[in-house]
Amino acid sequence: MKTSLLATDARTKKRNAAEARFKAYGLSAIVAAMLALAILLTSVLTNGLSSFQQTFITLPIELLEERVDKKGNRDPAEMAKTTTIGYAPLLRGAMAAEVERQGLTTELSDKDLGDMISKEAAATVRNRVLANPDLVGQTVTFDLLAAGRIDGYFKGRVTLETAALDGNTSPEALIIAQALADAGVIETKFNWNFFIAPDASVQRPEAAGLGVAILGSLYMMLVVLFLALPIGVASSIYLEEFAPKNRITDIIEVNISNLAAVPSIVYGILGLAIFINFMEFNQSSPLVGGLVLTLMTLPTIIISTRAALKSVPPSIRDAALGVGASKMQSVFHHVLPLAAPGILTGTIIGLAQALGETAPLLLIGMVAFVREYPAAYTPEAGLFGEASTALPVQVFNWTQRSDPAFVERASGAIITLLVFLLIMNAVAIYLRRRFERRW
Amino acid sequence: MEDMTHADRIMSTQHDSKISAKGVQVYYGDNHAIKDIDVEIDDKTVTAFIGPSGCGKSTFLRCINRMNDTIDVARVTGDIRIDGEDIYDPKVDPVQLRAKVGMVFQKPNPFPKSIYDNVAYGPKIHGLARNKADLDEIVEKSLRKAALWTEAKDRLESPGTGLSGGQQQRLCIARAIATAPEVLLMDEPCSALDPIATAQVEELIDELRQSFSVVIVTHSMQQAARVSQKTAFFHLGNLVEYDDTDKIFTNPQDPRTESYISGRIG
Repeated sequence: MKTSLLATDARTKKRNAAEARFKAYGLSAIVAAMLALAILLTSVLTNGLSSFQQTFITLPIELLEERVDKKGNRDPAEMAKTTTIGYAPLLRGAMAAEVERQGLTTELSDKDLGDMISKEAAATVRNRVLANPDLVGQTVTFDLLAAGRIDGYFKGRVTLETAALDGNTSPEALIIAQALADAGVIETKFNWNFFIAPDASVQRPEAAGLGVAILGSLYMMLVVLFLALPIGVASSIYLEEFAPKNRITDIIEVNISNLAAVPSIVYGILGLAIFINFMEFNQSSPLVGGLVLTLMTLPTIIISTRAALKSVPPSIRDAALGVGASKMQSVFHHVLPLAAPGILTGTIIGLAQALGETAPLLLIGMVAFVREYPAAYTPEAGLFGEASTALPVQVFNWTQRSDPAFVERASGAIITLLVFLLIMNAVAIYLRRRFERRW
Repeated sequence: MEDMTHADRIMSTQHDSKISAKGVQVYYGDNHAIKDIDVEIDDKTVTAFIGPSGCGKSTFLRCINRMNDTIDVARVTGDIRIDGEDIYDPKVDPVQLRAKVGMVFQKPNPFPKSIYDNVAYGPKIHGLARNKADLDEIVEKSLRKAALWTEAKDRLESPGTGLSGGQQQRLCIARAIATAPEVLLMDEPCSALDPIATAQVEELIDELRQSFSVVIVTHSMQQAARVSQKTAFFHLGNLVEYDDTDKIFTNPQDPRTESYISGRIG
């Protein structure tokens, strides 16, 4: 029987159907992945974007001398004896006065009104006064943090109904807050403090910031960069270009690949045993965190560097050796520059992975509550030796706390972390484009 | 005294050949790639190695500048001398040897750098130029010798990889001769080139004969006939026949050579 090209036979139909099905599977996988990404981003953004805004109360406060400088000599050392508790009545009074000035009537006591201001505010005022004793006796206008519940009200987290059931605030307070907001006394502004301030205690989520975590992560990344990059690149060059191919190098190779798949928490235990228990570095310090992350990142860097070195055509090595370059000259003059984009990309991806790593840091104590900025160097603690925390651990830490305001903070921290990761990946792409050459 | 002069005469007859190989064997792991090769290669001549693929001609070529050292499993035994000096002597540094024995590869492989840097690289690492002017001179001389100067002189700073295939191969030749070698090894230098570029490179090879001993591996018997004075025919790791090119192509002694040349094997 003669077949026509215009008629598709059964076999071809089946083949085409199989191909169409396969394409559909692929497409649905992509759609599912995109959907998951969209859900993740929406959830994080809706929860977290509000953390970049913060509610402030603008209050003129009369800094009474008998309250803040009992001796009257303007000596900061003497004035420091007045604790934040001593400042609380000033704030309370100023708040009550402001409510009265706006012509509002309320059943709330002065204490209830004072509770609308963050517990952090007294410290803000005290620090300003200690820094500048000349302010004593004057009336100074302060932008003070509103308490978490008030902040939550303006962000839609707290409503009159939930406030009725809440021991920390009351519907009356929210009504007053709304009236003050209408009068311009309470405002929501961009929250620089979120990126600068250190962590705050469970009672004052409104004051909690990422400053220490960002700094700690930065220190750790520096440690990782300056250790993992040279060690990783040097060992890759040795393994790829110089090492004899034998059983031992085979075993090393297999082990490096396996190390890349070791659960990160194992590195945490290792770090605890070696760096803290044996070498006695400070726990919670970025140095130890950086060392642990270095161990974790090394296999990634070695694997990607070796792949980059392998991808350099052997003809380039031949050419260099052919004109009488030594092995090392051929590697450093010709192979390494050509492999550089791949090495950089691998390193930055390794760093990004280290930046987001949480589990090993929990084991070496970086989950600690840290109020003070760690110094890069102190004679007692050494380089990067002061207690710190890190971005992903801060997220973990905040999600453990009971106050719902910390959910918003944690999401905000996740957004910050994602932005850092995006920046690092963008840098990796830029560097690859910049250094990529054709041969 | 007479003995001395006699000895001198023997020495000098030995020196007539630039490269002398005796009983060379090469193993790649268990594979016996080159079997007991003896060959004398003359100075200031073009010697062609021909033979079917996998016959060991490239392998033997790479023994002459010890490029086989870079392959872990390769093992070379026997004796190869250049000007009477054993190049496999433990005292010989292969890096120094390779400055003296230049090599041009099958595929043009310029460094992804400028034309100038490609040629200047060898002299730079061997300290052949005292200053920039010296280096400029070496680069110009090498490019002139490689018949690339007129095309390249206005674009010395542009990348060598931007040249055409034939120009790239001539650049590689310029790079090889910039270190002032005495022997130039060419491993199928025209196999990646079109006929016009091939003709240019062949013409160049003929000129290079004035200054160097050139050894060329080629798949093309016509090319061997065109450029070489001596031809060696390799088959299955053996050196079957080695003689003047004219003789090999007109009156081969070995039946295997004859069948290869007439196209029955290979």
